[in-house]
Amino acid sequence: MLPIVNTVREQREARGMTQSELGAEIAMTRQTIAAIEQRRYSPSLESAFRLARFFNMGIEHLFRWDE
Amino acid sequence: MSIRYKSALLTLISLAVIYTYYFARIAAGVPAEDAIGLLIEVVITIVIVQIVGHALIAGTSSDRYAPMDERERAIDRRATAVGYYLLIASTLAASAILHMGSGKAQTANAILLAVVLTECVRQAVFLSLHHRAG
Repeated sequence: MLPIVNTVREQREARGMTQSELGAEIAMTRQTIAAIEQRRYSPSLESAFRLARFFNMGIEHLFRWDE
Repeated sequence: MSIRYKSALLTLISLAVIYTYYFARIAAGVPAEDAIGLLIEVVITIVIVQIVGHALIAGTSSDRYAPMDERERAIDRRATAVGYYLLIASTLAASAILHMGSGKAQTANAILLAVVLTECVRQAVFLSLHHRAG
């Protein structure tokens, strides 16, 4: 498991979206969204910002280093 | 399973099965004049299997086809890098047999084997990385 924790699943579910719908919004596949949520893939900085912008929140609230 | 995963699996299996048949026939001693015909049959078979297979995958998959995203591009780059080193090594080995008295047909088949092996390994690495990274 990668050392970066994220709240992508919580944010997505709070908006009632599927992984496919979120992926379509930010040009990612459903598999990549699933991998991010399960901490098996860390997105690029650009994609992390794109996710944060989509959820209308700061990147530091969406991703943080797991101490 | 994503469309791309199924596509890579289809490519790997079809290449492995069809070229195993081809090289088994060559190893069994197909006459040189029949070898070109056999190769043409093999290439046509692969094209048909790929077209029909991909049509079936597209028709039965719940995912729609989309361009590779950053994770898939990263996986593809790593698989291609592994394939590149194998291609260099196997092509050098294939050209080395030319200096060991092999004929043109044997050398051409050795280079073809190098290319097929490289593509099979590239697809296998892609599948493995794709599986591990979700």
